[in-house]
Amino acid sequence: MLSVLSYGRLVARAVIGGLSQTDSRDYSLVTASCGFGKDFCKGILKKGTCYGDDACFIARHRSADVLGVADGVGGWRDYGVDPSQFSGTLMKTCERLVKEGRFVPSNPVGVLTTSYYELLQNKVPLLGSSTACIVVLDRQSHQLHTANLGDSGFLVVRGGEVVHRSDEQQHYFNTPFQLSIAPPGAEGAVLSDSPRAPSDLCVCADSPDAADSSCFDVQLGDIILTATDGLFDNMPDYMILQELKKLKNSNYESIQKAARSIAEQAHVLAYDPNYMSPFAQFACDNGLNVRGGKPDDITVLLSIVAEYTD
Amino acid sequence: MLTLLSMFYYICLRRRSRSGTRGEALTSRRAVESGQRAVLPISVEVEQYAKEVLDFSSHYGSENSMSYTMWNLAGVPNVYPSSGDFTQTAVFRAYGTWWEQCASAPPPFRRTPKAFHSQDYIELGFEEPVYPTAVEVLETYYPGTIVQILACSHNPFSQNPPTDVRWEVLWSGEPTKVLTPQARQFSPTIKHIGFPTNLLRLEVNSSLLDYYTELDAVILRGLIQLILSHLTLPDLCRLAQSCKLLHQHCCDPLQYTQLSLQPYWGRLSDASLGHLQGRCTLLQRLNLSWTGNRGALTLTGFSSFMKACGLSLGCLELSCCHFLNEPCLEVISQTCPALQDLNLSSCDRLQPQAFAHISKLTRLRRLVLYRTKIEQTAILSILTFCIELKHLNLGSCVRIEDYDVVASMLAARCRSLCSLDLWRCRNLTDRGLAELVSGCRMLEELDLGWCPTLQSSTGCFQQLARCLPRLRKLFLTANRTVCDSDVEELAGSCPSLQHLDILGTRLVSAASLKKLLQSCPRLLLLDVSFCSQIDMRVVQELSSLFPKVAIKKSFTQ
Repeated sequence: MLSVLSYGRLVARAVIGGLSQTDSRDYSLVTASCGFGKDFCKGILKKGTCYGDDACFIARHRSADVLGVADGVGGWRDYGVDPSQFSGTLMKTCERLVKEGRFVPSNPVGVLTTSYYELLQNKVPLLGSSTACIVVLDRQSHQLHTANLGDSGFLVVRGGEVVHRSDEQQHYFNTPFQLSIAPPGAEGAVLSDSPRAPSDLCVCADSPDAADSSCFDVQLGDIILTATDGLFDNMPDYMILQELKKLKNSNYESIQKAARSIAEQAHVLAYDPNYMSPFAQFACDNGLNVRGGKPDDITVLLSIVAEYTD
Repeated sequence: MLTLLSMFYYICLRRRSRSGTRGEALTSRRAVESGQRAVLPISVEVEQYAKEVLDFSSHYGSENSMSYTMWNLAGVPNVYPSSGDFTQTAVFRAYGTWWEQCASAPPPFRRTPKAFHSQDYIELGFEEPVYPTAVEVLETYYPGTIVQILACSHNPFSQNPPTDVRWEVLWSGEPTKVLTPQARQFSPTIKHIGFPTNLLRLEVNSSLLDYYTELDAVILRGLIQLILSHLTLPDLCRLAQSCKLLHQHCCDPLQYTQLSLQPYWGRLSDASLGHLQGRCTLLQRLNLSWTGNRGALTLTGFSSFMKACGLSLGCLELSCCHFLNEPCLEVISQTCPALQDLNLSSCDRLQPQAFAHISKLTRLRRLVLYRTKIEQTAILSILTFCIELKHLNLGSCVRIEDYDVVASMLAARCRSLCSLDLWRCRNLTDRGLAELVSGCRMLEELDLGWCPTLQSSTGCFQQLARCLPRLRKLFLTANRTVCDSDVEELAGSCPSLQHLDILGTRLVSAASLKKLLQSCPRLLLLDVSFCSQIDMRVVQELSSLFPKVAIKKSFTQ
């Protein structure tokens, strides 16, 4: 008798579980951005999608919501090149590609490849390099497709826990994978980012195909944080999660507030000389006696998966 | 209540106008004229951006790119009201008269009507067919290029094959030169036509412009329902009118040695070719560029005409002739044994296997294959047999796999080559270029624009200069490796240089340009746009020292 009941309960649960998985609603990402340029002045002068040498974009298309961040590699400044030009143009090109529908939602690496090709079609002789992280939400399939080249990245938070994250791609300490256009004679040059490490050239070519890609299902209420290393190097996961706990709904205003709070905290911590930042921790683990935050451009894109409303 | 009734009428009539055929529309017009009033209480004016770019004769950008390509003309504007040289605009391949000055340019056709100025065109489809009330073109750089705007009766998005296709001129004008390169909205007064249209064609002439024109968007304003009392008289003598100009040709007692039918592209049909056949048996030069699309010319009409006039034909212009297919090319190879000049520019729907027939035309001296799908085997075959080639254009031929092999073949077989256009040939390297310049010493014009695989550090440009003393035109557009040594070598070895384009290099200084200008007294065009060491001050200084030279420096702000 009892076993029949429990069997019945199991079946009922399975059926209901099966039914609730077929959710035919379209999803969308409600996204807010916030950031700080390392050099205060630059952060103010540039448009809202550029923070120092970082750049980002948020774009909508019929079939997908797409976001991206790019961290311009600072070492180019030593060669007279403005690092924000490359990252900014790359992100603007990705945005244009998405808006014009010249992409496939399940192929975010394709977005990078095509954008990079378009940069080479520009009459202006662009120089520079940057990391790139692209996140695509396929509205209908509820899948998140990502591509990450370098040390920017994303986190997916569900129920207060990190359920997905991107991997960093580094050649050497503080020398991330990067898309680049080098001056003639220096093809394949890869430069390191911050003034802490010497900016010497090494021969590694990072094509867009070198990007890591991943794909997974998302649920309503999932939080996606896409950011440049200025955030992750200064704020460990538990601090980020603490801030995200305060997010009560999926209104744009709440998300904007949370994004700002995260970016501001990271910005403050970056200039704290005594704080054991994740960056400092990693440096120590690699034999460098370092303490404090890492002053850097910070870009934070905070998104929540919500129902699609036109 | 009245609003509801009006809405009801509007919805019903709109549905009717959509499903009605042309015949029904004419009938309803006749009904109006005979005194019966048709009830059309509402006309709605809609404004649309172009939905899709359907056809065009040329563009600056790369196939499959969204930078400086014609596809940018569809959709909302990206740049306007800003002015400048931006990637998000539609840019044609040429401007000014520089290309006409080259040896590779064919002589103009006699008897071309003075009113025909068009050099390039673009066709745009819009979502909704309307009776046009206005056409606005947003020009964002060096405006003034539009010379004709036409509307077509055929709906390009309909599933039905085109029947009874009519083109009506909405506006036409002379080529103009606007004094500043700044952005403007061009909205000429257009003629009212008797049919709804969602297919527009813009024809342009950039000969008076100082630099490449750039277009951002086109807006079509029109009425969905027409207030019939404002309609002009119906176009009953359409047929007679369309043939009027052709009729003149047909009745001309002379036999033609040269005939350009390009100005009549919208009205040329198999039947018209048939009428002309008798006058064309001595034809030496024939221009059918832009004709025959949307079913107007077929293999039957074309072969019949070619059989009649092919024997003496020396020059055949077939640019943008989308009616061409492999059998047509076969007919040409069979009926035109004396052909020396063949232009298949932008025949981008012609299948790769069609080009094999060209190798039978062994007397060819000029061959233009810009933006066609020709493949490696066919071009190598052509170069094997057409050894008298003097002018060859392989610009944007993206299906050719290995340009080094092509260059090598040219060097071996086509020693009298005078001009070569390899614009956007993506895999030509210094090896191929070295062979080319060693073998084709008579080269006067060489376009290597946007060939990214040529590296100056290999010495290939210096070798080029040393090998080609007759060089008059050299385009190294957007080759970021061009440096002072290359410019100095050109100064030393190419005294006949007239046109030079080194857009986008960071490595050329004002000093070496000065040397070049001093050593090349015939220089007329020097494009130093986006050369980071050459700012406006340098350009002004050089221009005042060398006033005969047009020094171009494009800007983005």
